[in-house]
Amino acid sequence: MNHLRVDIAVVGAGPAGLQAALAAAEARVRVALIDRYPRPGGQYFRQPRSEPALASAVARQPKAQALFQRVHRAENVVYWPETGVWAAFPSDGDEWLLALDGPDAPARLVARSLVLATGAYDRPIAFPGWTTPGVYTAGAVQTLLKSEGVLPGRRVLFTGSGPLQWAVAAAVADAGAEVILLEAVSRARLFSLSGLLALWRQGERLREARAYWRSLRRGAAEIRFGWAVVEVRGEAEVEEVIIARLDDQWRPIAGTEASWAADAVVIGYGFLPENRLAQLLGCAEDFAPHLGGYIPRRDETMQCSLPGVYVVGDAAGIRGADVAQLEGRIAGLAAAARVQARSAVSLQAALRPYQISLAQTRRFAHWLGRTFTPGPGLYRLARDDTTLCRCEEVRLADVRAAVANGAGSLDEVKAMTRAGMGYCQGRICGEILVHGMMRSNPPTSTYWREFQRLGRFRVRPPLFPLTLQSLAQG
Amino acid sequence: MTIFVNGEPVAAHEGQSVAAALLSAGRRIFRRTRLGAARGLFCGIGVCYDCLVTIDGLPNRRACMASVREGMRVKIATANHEQ
Repeated sequence: MNHLRVDIAVVGAGPAGLQAALAAAEARVRVALIDRYPRPGGQYFRQPRSEPALASAVARQPKAQALFQRVHRAENVVYWPETGVWAAFPSDGDEWLLALDGPDAPARLVARSLVLATGAYDRPIAFPGWTTPGVYTAGAVQTLLKSEGVLPGRRVLFTGSGPLQWAVAAAVADAGAEVILLEAVSRARLFSLSGLLALWRQGERLREARAYWRSLRRGAAEIRFGWAVVEVRGEAEVEEVIIARLDDQWRPIAGTEASWAADAVVIGYGFLPENRLAQLLGCAEDFAPHLGGYIPRRDETMQCSLPGVYVVGDAAGIRGADVAQLEGRIAGLAAAARVQARSAVSLQAALRPYQISLAQTRRFAHWLGRTFTPGPGLYRLARDDTTLCRCEEVRLADVRAAVANGAGSLDEVKAMTRAGMGYCQGRICGEILVHGMMRSNPPTSTYWREFQRLGRFRVRPPLFPLTLQSLAQG
Repeated sequence: MTIFVNGEPVAAHEGQSVAAALLSAGRRIFRRTRLGAARGLFCGIGVCYDCLVTIDGLPNRRACMASVREGMRVKIATANHEQ
C-alpha cells in the first residue's frame, strides 16, 4: 500500500491553506499540501488555467504569485494537486489518517497534525427556474471569466447580496456584457451608521468598492437595491426573469413583481462553509447564521475540539480571504509548535501580532456577514413544483409530504424522498431542504432555533464520489 | 485545438475547462435529467455535479473540472433529449 507520514497535512491550497503550509514549512516541519484543483490558490487566488485563453478582464494578483513561489520553493513541503481527501480517521498514537484520491498522492497519509482549509462554495437559493441552464452561481461566473475569459451571456442579470457579486458584476461589465445588478440589501440598511462605522480604517476595501462602483456605473444598465430575482422562466434556457422588491425579512413584496429580459442569471448570496472533513472527524460546532451556519468551535490557535486538528479560513466561518490568511498563518505556526513540543509561552509570543490583526480584520468581516446574510424570506421563493434537490429531483411538495408523514429531521426527509443522496451529497440542497421543512411562516425570533432542531445530513465517507478503482487502491 | 462535441468539431484553448469550451461554442444544455429537465453549468467549482457530460466514453465527468485535450470527444444532451 502506498502510505506516507508527515508532520502536518494541510487540506486546501487557498489563501488559508497556503499561509498555513508556508508558516509550518518555515518552522521546519514536514508538510503535505493537498488540493482538489489543478492549480493552487483556491477560489480567491484563482489562476488562469493557461495564459492565452485569458482576457485582461481581471487584474493579476502579484501577492498571490509570490505566495505560490514561496510555498513551491520550500523543500519540506510536498504539494499534491487534483487530490481529494475522501475520509479521515484518528490513527494510533495521537495521529490522523487521511484517505486520498489523486494522481500523485499516496492512497493514505498519516499526519501528526491536520490543518483543514477546505474553503466555501456559493450559497444556493432555490426559486422557480433556478435549475435552468444559464442560471449560474457568482463563483462559477468568476471562475469562467478569471481563468477562461468566457462571459456567461450578453445581458446578464445578477441577483444576490454582498461584495462578491459586486466584484463579479463589475468584471462582467468590464469584459463587455450588459449587466443588471440587483442587491438584495436596501440602500438604507447599507448606508446606515453601523455600515459607516464598519468601514472605519478599511481603506483598501473602500478603494475596491469604489473601483467596482466605477465599472458598474460605466457598464451596468441598471443597479437596484432591495430587489431580487424571484423566478426564471424558460424550458431549457433563460427567457424571462421575474424580479420583486424585498421587505426587511427578505420576503418579496406582493405587487412589486416585474418582468425583465436577460440571457443569463447569476446568483451571489454569499457562501456556505465546506467543512465536512471537520464534521466527519467530530469537531464540536457552533451555529452562526451570519458566518454561514454550522462552524467548528476553535481556540485562539484555531485548534478545534480535537487535539492537533486546526480549521481555518472560510471553512470555519465565512470571513473572507484576509481573515483566512491570518488564521492560516496562526494555525501553521501553532501546529508546527505542537509537533515540535515548543513551549506555550514562546508560541504565544509568536502568534500575538497575527492575533491582533485578526481581531481587527474579523470586525469588518462580521459586519459583512450580519449585513448580507439572507433573511428567512428568501428561502420561501420555491413553489410546490420547484426542485430543491437538483441531483435527485426532489420538489418542495415532496419535502412537505415527507414532513406531513412524520419526518422530523433532515436525515428522515432524506430517507423518505432520496433528497441529498445524489452526487453532490447534499452540499447544494441541505440548507435549502431544511428551510423547505420549516412551517410556512415561522416567527423570525425563533427561526434559527427551529432550523437547528431539524438537523442536517450526517456526513459519511467517501466525502465525494469515487471510482471503484480509487476505492480499491485505498 | 479542436474537440468534438457530439461528433462536431469545436474550437478550444489549451488548458480550458470542457465547460468553458462548451459555453464558448454556445452550448449551454449539457445534459437532461431522468425526468427530462435541461441542466448545464451551475456552481462552476466542482461541488454541484450538475454539469456532467460523457468524455471519451467515460460518463458522469464534471465539465467544469475536466480540461480539454486535442481530439477529446465530448457527448452532451441533444435536442431529442438523449444524453
